[in-house]
Amino acid sequence: MRIPCPYCGARDASEFAYLGDATLTRPDPAAPDAADAFHAYVYLRDNPAGAHSEWWYHAGGCRRWVKVARDTTTHAIAGAELAEGAR
Amino acid sequence: MTAALDILPVTQMPADGPYGPAGTHGVTARLFDPPALATLAARRGGGIALAAAARVELGLDLADAPRLSRADGLSAIGTAPGRWLLLAGTEGDLAARLAPLAPHAAITEQTDAYVGVEIDGPHARDLLAKGVSLDLDPAAFPPGAAATTNVAHVNVSFWREPGEDRFVFLVARSYRVAFARFLVASGAEYGLELVHRG
Ligand SMILES: [Zn+2]
Repeated sequence: MRIPCPYCGARDASEFAYLGDATLTRPDPAAPDAADAFHAYVYLRDNPAGAHSEWWYHAGGCRRWVKVARDTTTHAIAGAELAEGAR
Repeated sequence: MTAALDILPVTQMPADGPYGPAGTHGVTARLFDPPALATLAARRGGGIALAAAARVELGLDLADAPRLSRADGLSAIGTAPGRWLLLAGTEGDLAARLAPLAPHAAITEQTDAYVGVEIDGPHARDLLAKGVSLDLDPAAFPPGAAATTNVAHVNVSFWREPGEDRFVFLVARSYRVAFARFLVASGAEYGLELVHRG
């Protein structure tokens, strides 16, 4: 699998480290349900079959976090953007 | 052909000289100590001011891309957004030379951090194909193109020199022996000349 780094260009996946789900938002630690919210944030994942948004770290290249739109069943990558400025 | 590596401790630099079948010469690899080296990191939001200062003060067109920019013996290699390795062709006070950029960028001395390896010859790309996972055909990686990547598990930054089938690698100093072993093991079949350039 090759990941199109917006800066470096297409690179082998071995140059990247995988973090996972890029759709999560860190909960408010001051909220009354913070313990449950953080449990979900840290441990619970949907494991989608199909389109997914993921964080990959380009450790062997530009050392930037990249947000990648990947199909988990085909590995087809629909797009990638640097975390800095990512939507 | 690379039996020389079998008896050489993995921590010891292979000796200068020819490797491979007698009378063949396909690749030359010259190891050298960069005369002066620094990293340049644009301050947040300072990219445009930095590019302007580089143009006015150094005559350097600082491309924010994995490319080589060069002016007056000073080479800038894009390694990440807003980041470059700056390599001086000759010894001198690089810090003083870069001082006009300091308001717009963090500048860090790196001269002893890397060694340089210049690789050329008719089989240079055949050797590199065994370790570089990028397409180095001139159509895909033209003169002046640069990349940071892993070669034989060693992280490197490299570029293709303008107008020639010559590549220059910057390798972290502590990995120089491992990288030289990769060069010998991969290049011997084409006839490799390993040289330490003074
Ligand atoms: Zn990258």
